[in-house]
Formats: sequence, structure tokens, C-alpha cells
Amino acid sequence: MGSFTSIVYKEIKELIRDPKILFGVVLLPLLLYPLMGQGLQIGQESVQTAIKGAKFSVYSDDAGNIAGILVQYITTNNTVTNIQASGLEDALVKFKDSDTVAMVYVPNGYSQNITNGLRGHVKIYGNLKNLNIAEASGVDVAGSLVSIYNYYYSLAIINQLMEVTGELGSAAVVHDPLSISYASIIKGNVIEVAPSQITSLIMSQSIMLPIMVMMMVIFAIQMAATSIALEKEQKTLETLMTLPVGRFTILGGKLAGSVVIAIAGSISYMIGFGYYTSSAFSFAPQFTSVDLTGAGIGIQPMGYLLLGIVMFVTLISALALAISLAVFADSVRSAQSLTGVLIVPLIIPAMILMFSDIEMLPPAVQWIMLAIPYTHTMLATKAAFLGNYWIIIRSIGYISVFTVIVLWIAAKIFSTERIITARFSSFSFRKRKLAPPR
Amino acid sequence: MELAIDVRDLKKSFGDFEALKGASFKVDENEVFGLIGPNGAGKTTTLRILGTLISPTSGVAEVFGHEVVKEADAVRRILSYLPEDAGAYQYLSGEEYLRFMAGFYASKKETVEEMVQAGRDISGLGDRLKDRVNGYSKGMKRRLLLARALMIKPKLAILDEPTSGLDVIQAYHVRGMIKDYAEGMGVTVLVSSHNMLEVEYLCNRVALINEGKIISEGTPEELKTRYNAVNLEQVFMEATQLG
Repeated sequence: MGSFTSIVYKEIKELIRDPKILFGVVLLPLLLYPLMGQGLQIGQESVQTAIKGAKFSVYSDDAGNIAGILVQYITTNNTVTNIQASGLEDALVKFKDSDTVAMVYVPNGYSQNITNGLRGHVKIYGNLKNLNIAEASGVDVAGSLVSIYNYYYSLAIINQLMEVTGELGSAAVVHDPLSISYASIIKGNVIEVAPSQITSLIMSQSIMLPIMVMMMVIFAIQMAATSIALEKEQKTLETLMTLPVGRFTILGGKLAGSVVIAIAGSISYMIGFGYYTSSAFSFAPQFTSVDLTGAGIGIQPMGYLLLGIVMFVTLISALALAISLAVFADSVRSAQSLTGVLIVPLIIPAMILMFSDIEMLPPAVQWIMLAIPYTHTMLATKAAFLGNYWIIIRSIGYISVFTVIVLWIAAKIFSTERIITARFSSFSFRKRKLAPPR
Repeated sequence: MELAIDVRDLKKSFGDFEALKGASFKVDENEVFGLIGPNGAGKTTTLRILGTLISPTSGVAEVFGHEVVKEADAVRRILSYLPEDAGAYQYLSGEEYLRFMAGFYASKKETVEEMVQAGRDISGLGDRLKDRVNGYSKGMKRRLLLARALMIKPKLAILDEPTSGLDVIQAYHVRGMIKDYAEGMGVTVLVSSHNMLEVEYLCNRVALINEGKIISEGTPEELKTRYNAVNLEQVFMEATQLG
């Protein structure tokens, strides 16, 4: 086995056998995300069950026939308690003490108004005992029930008027004389899908992808920093540096070992996150119902290839940066606090690009964003989705140049005595000025 | 006989602090040479320069004719360096650690296995070598590290405080390992220690270092005679005019 493979092999063994890394990076995403998804699913299902079983009350101050028809409609369709009370205040006290979530109140004058050609007013009270979603949704269901009644009652009135006037046609058409349908033009193709559906799909992807990139790079940074800091903490680095092996080989071996673990972490993250989204959003079928691959939206083989290269150079650059910083740390804890700084330029573009496009930002912010190499990784993931390969190639170029510069710096640090003498402790740098070796 | 180490007017500064102020000494091949002095005297700095870890500010340091800065790669091929507070990889077994290290000195599998076997013999850890290092006591770790340093049969072994932090029994074993190996294999050994009695037991020749300078040099007997002392501890006190 050559020196390089020997170091890579050792690195992987050390990292994988470290319970903190094995659990935190590989096992935790596999456990945590499915559990989160399951929790969310259980929560949503219980809300839906609560909505289905929601009970309503109805109280009418109007003794007219028209109000009686509304009350009858509501009571025949649901488990509804018809409150008998001396007035609204009394009815509200009884409603408050009941197990119903909403009360439909028909005030006096409702029938009179409709008879006079005016709007009949109905009020719905919600009984918010626990201030939860199920209660609010139950109130909405009561509102929907009244709206359905409103629609059909409107059709009945239209029918009556048409009969009187002798008009031909359907009451539904008179109620809604126009119908609207949507289509979108993407890359010159007209597809019969509403623009909002397409954007919501792309939004879902553009939220997922930056999160995945961010997580993968954070894993990589942690791996590399831990790998160097462990050497320092366990006092093995000095020995390693006196071996007959090039410093660049040591650096490369450490990078490669960290890449392997970071990829394993990313895969476990993606599996965990995939399970999370499939279980957490299983109650919302529209989330996955739009298939736009036929319209050229979706990642093609070339896109996957270029995306793979982007991910690779991103990983290498993050690792080299982490190693360059971790050299100044003398323990895993100080390395993690030092490399924690690197998470800021990762989170900022991820957060901004989740909810907006780079073109929508003010020019100064755009330039700052474009200077951060990880912005390009996230832009490339979106571009791969839309098939804009030139943007991906530009991203590869920019990140590669950045990576070469950082690798050069890392190699320089590795080839000098700074790797042995530099120290970072309690947020201050010192070069063993106060405590030199004997 | 070839000169194993040649150090001439070696200086090293860390910022404003001068750790070495022009140290000079020579070590012959197959010699066990001791560098003794108190904490902060410049021992580790000297060994780190010879071990190619740090560069001198000025002066010359050569190992078997190779200049340590310009020919660092050549020096690394012939030396083995054991730092004072060195550790081993916690999640590797002792044997995996020896094999990993041997891999840098030999490309053939048989040679690697020969080195690992030598490491097994030197360490004397037996079946415990199958266990992970994080289960080792301090003494076991030191024996493993010393075995790592010696198993490759280096031309020069640099041992910085080889018994530091060990109890009497462990220190006795480690000293025995070094003495047996040096006598048996004819390897040049440079030992640093602030334990004067240990140096007297191990070394053919000794240099006293204080405040970055070599203040005296010779065999233990010569030094004792020169300073009219009963042991090296007394020699050191006399030489530094502290006694």
C-alpha cells in the first residue's frame, strides 16, 4: 500500500471508529430525520382526524322560514347541537361549555333581509379552548359548510329569477359566467400546467438543494477539522511530520479520508431527509403530483455529471479551508469553534437563495454573494434543474480557482513549521511566544 | 567512523524569545548521546530541528552529512523521532498502528511484516497489541511508541524524554528497551532528558544544555571528574554555577 492510500485508509478507520463521528455524521441523520418526519406525520394525521370529528353548534335568533332552512341544512349534514337559549349571550355560555368547536349564529332579521333582496348575515364563533390548529380548522369547516349552502342557495334564487324572466341557460353559468385555465411556456414549450404549480415545485427543489449542499459541506468541514485537530490533540502530528512522506501527500490523504466520510454522511443525510419529506408531506399529495420532466425541467444525465463535479470541487475547497484553519487549533473543540466561522458564508447564501433569486437582489448584495464560492454551488444546483449548463460550468471554474488558491495556502502551511508551532486557544492566536519548546 | 550529528552554532528564536543561542555539538555513529538540561533549556527545540520539524534561525545541523533544512527528505528516511508527549491513534489497535507506520519505510509486504514483528518484540505488549490504543495505559502507549520508533532500524533515533510521565517500573522497562536495542542493533541514539540519572545509565556521552547553550560535553565519567561530582545532577549544578 502506498503512503497516500495508507493515510487515506487510516483516516477512514479513525473517523469511522470514532463514536462521535459515526453517530453524529452517519447514524444521526438516518435516525433523526425519519423520527422528525414521523412526528410531523402523526401530528398532521391527528389534526385531520380531529377536523373530521369536529362538532358544531347552531343557534338562531330568527324564527323565519328562510333561517329555518339554513339551520336544517346544517343540522342534517353534521353532528350539530342545536342550542336552545334565551338570547345570544346565553347561547355563547352554552357553546363555551359544550364540546363543539364552532357555532353558527343566525341573527334576527336574516330571513327578512333575504326576503327584501338584501344579504342575510351569518356569524360563526370559534371555541378556542386549546388554541391549536385543529380548532381553527374546525371553524373553517363550519365556514365552508355555510359557503356551500350559500352557493346552492344562490343557484336556487337564480333559477327562480330565470323562471320568472323566461331566460334560458344554466344557473351555474349565470353565477360564474367566466372560467379560467392556466398554461405555462417553458423553454419555448407550452405545457398545460399552471405557473404557480411549476414555481411551487421549483421552490420545493430550490429549498431542498441548498440545504443538502449546506449540510454536506458542513459535514466535510467538521471531518477535516476534526481529523487535523485529533492529530494535534492526540499528539500524533509531530510524529507524522517526521515520516519520510511528502507533506502534500499527508494533506491529500487527510482530504481524501474526510471526503469519503463526508460523502457517507451526505448519503445518510439524503436518505434521512428523503424519508422525512416523504412522511412529513404525505398528507399533501399536490406536493409531488406535477411531473415536468417532459417539459425539460428536471436534472438530465449531463446535469448530474456537472453537478457531481460541482459537489466535488466544493467539498475539496471546504476541506482545504477547514484544514488551513484547523492547523491553528490544538484540540477538537477549538478546531470546531474556529471552523464554525466557515458556516456563516454557507448559511447566508443558502438562506437567501432558498427564497429568492440572485437576480432579484440589489447589485451590491449580488456581488458579495457571488464572491462566496458556495453561492455558486447553490446556483449550479438550480441551474442543473433548469438545464442551464453554462452557469454550472462557470460555477465549476470559479470554485476550482478558489480551491486551487486555498489548497496552495494549505500546502504552504503544511510545509512550514507553523503546523507545529501555531496555536489557537480561547479565541486568541499565539505562536508559542510565551511557552516555546525546551 | 562517520559523524551521525553535526550541530554548529545553532540558533532559534520564537518571536522575541531566543530558545537556542548558538548550540554546537557532535555525535558519532553508534553512540548513545544524551542532551540534558532543565525545562526550557532548549532540548526539544534542538531535537525538533534535527527531526526536520522546525527550521533554525541560523547555524547548521547535519544528520549523517545531510543538512536538515535543505535535505529534509533524506534525513527523514534515516531517522526516527519520538516526541516527548507523543500519542498514538486512539481508534487503531497497537498492531494496526505499527503496520501503518511501517508502511512509510517499506513498500514490500514482507519487509513491513518484518518491521511489525520487530515492533512486537521491542514493545513486549504481546496480545495487547490487538487491542485499540485508547485502552492502553500511559506506560503501554510509551512502549508502543518506542517500538514504532525503533522497529524500522533507523540510522538515528531521536528520543525526547523517553520516560517522561512514567512510573518507576514503566520507566525501568523503557530504559531497558532503549539500552538493549542500542547495544544490540548498533543504532545512534540521541536522548534528551531532565533526568540526569537516566542519562548517566543510558548514554556514552553527554552534553549539558542551559538557556539555549551547550555548557559542557563529555562522557559521564569525564564530566564527573571535571566537576569533581558524584553524579551528573551535581555536575549540572556545578556547571551552571547553581550549586
